[in-house]
Amino acid sequence: MKPFTFSNRVLGAAVGVLAVVYLYLAFTLEEFTAVSVPVQPATLPKWLGAVLLVLAAVLFLQKPDEDTGEQAGSDSGEDAGGTAGTAGTAGAAPAQATETGGGAPARPAAARPALGRLADPRKELALFAASIGFYIALLEPLGFLISTTAYIASATWYLGYRRHWANALVAVGVSAVLYFAMSDFLRVALPTGPLPF
Amino acid sequence: METLQQMGAGFGVAFTPENLLFVFIGVLAGTVIGILPGLGPMSAIALMIPIAFGMDPTTAIIMLAGVYYGAIFGGSTSSILLNAPGVAGTVATSFDGYPMARKGAAGKALAIAAIASFTGGTVGVVLLMLIAPVLSSFAVSFGPADYFALMVLGLTAVVTLGGRNITKGLIAAVVGVMVSLVGIDSQTATLRFTFGMPELYEGVKFLIVALGLFALAEVFSMLARRGAGGADGSMSSLRLNRRELGRIAGPTGRGSILGFFTGVLPGAGATVASFLSYSMEKRIAKDGDTFGSGNPKGVAAPEAGNNAAAVGSFVPMLTLGVPGSGTTAILLGALLVLGVTPGPMMLSERPEMFWGLVASMYVGNIVLLVLNLPLIPLFAKVLKTPRAVLIPLVVVFCVVGVYGLSFSVFDLWLLLGFGVVGYLMRQNGFPAAPMILGLILGSMMERSMRQALQISYGDWTTFVTSPYSAALLGLTVVVLVWPLVKRLRTGAKGPAADGGSSPDGAEKAEEDTATRP
Repeated sequence: MKPFTFSNRVLGAAVGVLAVVYLYLAFTLEEFTAVSVPVQPATLPKWLGAVLLVLAAVLFLQKPDEDTGEQAGSDSGEDAGGTAGTAGTAGAAPAQATETGGGAPARPAAARPALGRLADPRKELALFAASIGFYIALLEPLGFLISTTAYIASATWYLGYRRHWANALVAVGVSAVLYFAMSDFLRVALPTGPLPF
Repeated sequence: METLQQMGAGFGVAFTPENLLFVFIGVLAGTVIGILPGLGPMSAIALMIPIAFGMDPTTAIIMLAGVYYGAIFGGSTSSILLNAPGVAGTVATSFDGYPMARKGAAGKALAIAAIASFTGGTVGVVLLMLIAPVLSSFAVSFGPADYFALMVLGLTAVVTLGGRNITKGLIAAVVGVMVSLVGIDSQTATLRFTFGMPELYEGVKFLIVALGLFALAEVFSMLARRGAGGADGSMSSLRLNRRELGRIAGPTGRGSILGFFTGVLPGAGATVASFLSYSMEKRIAKDGDTFGSGNPKGVAAPEAGNNAAAVGSFVPMLTLGVPGSGTTAILLGALLVLGVTPGPMMLSERPEMFWGLVASMYVGNIVLLVLNLPLIPLFAKVLKTPRAVLIPLVVVFCVVGVYGLSFSVFDLWLLLGFGVVGYLMRQNGFPAAPMILGLILGSMMERSMRQALQISYGDWTTFVTSPYSAALLGLTVVVLVWPLVKRLRTGAKGPAADGGSSPDGAEKAEEDTATRP
């Protein structure tokens, strides 16, 4: 179960493209002519780009290493992700039972994974990254307190934490403590948003 | 004598109530973060840097150093209780610590870990005190060419010792240096790789990269493995009897000394040190065959080793200004932001900071022992924090850390970008530590290169005609070629299956923690 794992060929090609673009940019850097300098702004970048290109070629030609080798093929194909997801569900159910605390009786095999709700871990990861993006985008318009509380509460809820009161308490508590600690003690002004303080 | 006098002054600095308080906070926070699965010293320090910003630099580094060894100690707690090392440096501890815990001796294992860590740390500090001034006076005679060679060696050593696939490690290091060159060139004021974005003119702040590559990427992989690895955290008595103490004395002592010198070497940090001392003890112990099934010596040796190495890795950072490991690279980055440039001059220019740090390491070690031993049962509860709560909180801490530093939403997008890159890197076996080290060293490397060539009027042979530089570059070639030779020799037999008797084992372990399923 290794989402987003690629073969050395794909990785080598990707790094190679990066190196070529970098080299192109390095060669477009202007020469510095005001005073004579032994090292131009572009000297080190050109070297770095060349080294990276060589390394990319080496990686491209490399045999798969032992641990990523088996998974090398699994980056294509939905079913690989699907099986991984179900395996995760089965394996994670007991973990969830222990995590929800001592008092709660062990639930019969939960229908969803302990963390998150989608079977495909790649979609789950993409959604998670998007949620962070959403939080970042709303940080300044809504202010730190509102956006952070909303983010913590919704993400915790989505990831499968069931004690909603504890969740709400953590969300409000952490944002408030962070906000006032930052603004009053460290004098770091976090965005206030529409709230008056 | 002079050293002792300065040490006394150092204790004067360390014992101010403010600094004592922050050692305490640092060790405590480090332990708690280190216990959390997946979050190691690098994430811990990166998460604590924003708090350090408003502080006096001396206090700040004292606190961050406390975070460092607290995190290493915290990592051993989760290694022993869960067999889930939060830190690569404590993987070796789990070999015998977890079997001990399974046999109902979790408390004993933790107590041994605490005592061995304390001893390792203390021995390390004493050696640091003796060696640092000598090395520092020697380093004053280093020229720019020598520094350049030293940094090249540091980077390659981290790569060859820290990851299984050297090509991928080198790629990470090169990309790290590339990222460091973004922004206005300090010598010629040329804009490089800014894509016309004013936000990039001042370069990419290292904290963003550190938080993204370590903390945020860890959150992604936690999510991807669906929080597998449930917590138990049951505890037993912590008491050790005299005989048990006698048994672990030897391994602890040897591990401390070996660990320290391993830590001083560029590239070899706590991880390598812990594996080296574990395999050394396994070889010389009479009951070596019981290693792996809960031998207390197998807990004491790596714990002493990794703590001594943590202290040892401060030596190159403080005396040469060149970090030898990913963790000290992050610390160095923090110092630079605080306006302190470590290096050979630090000892003479900022003695209060240097000796205050050394003294507070003593204090930190004592705090670690006195505070952590009774609190271990409480810390074990941290392990029960549901991942569903933990994940969003780590994200928020990262966001606050970056935003509090730059007040820029652009930097938050960069943070998210580096988080995604960091996750893709660890999924595909690219180590993150060389990238961070490359980022920190990159601009320093370019500066040394320029100074060296300025002095030599553009003559590139200066890098091989200076004796130090030539020796260091020669060593770099050896470091690079040696694994290749080794692979050719053992190539037919395939990778050694031996559980961690060579740096190879360390690499494997590092890889394992990074991509633990």
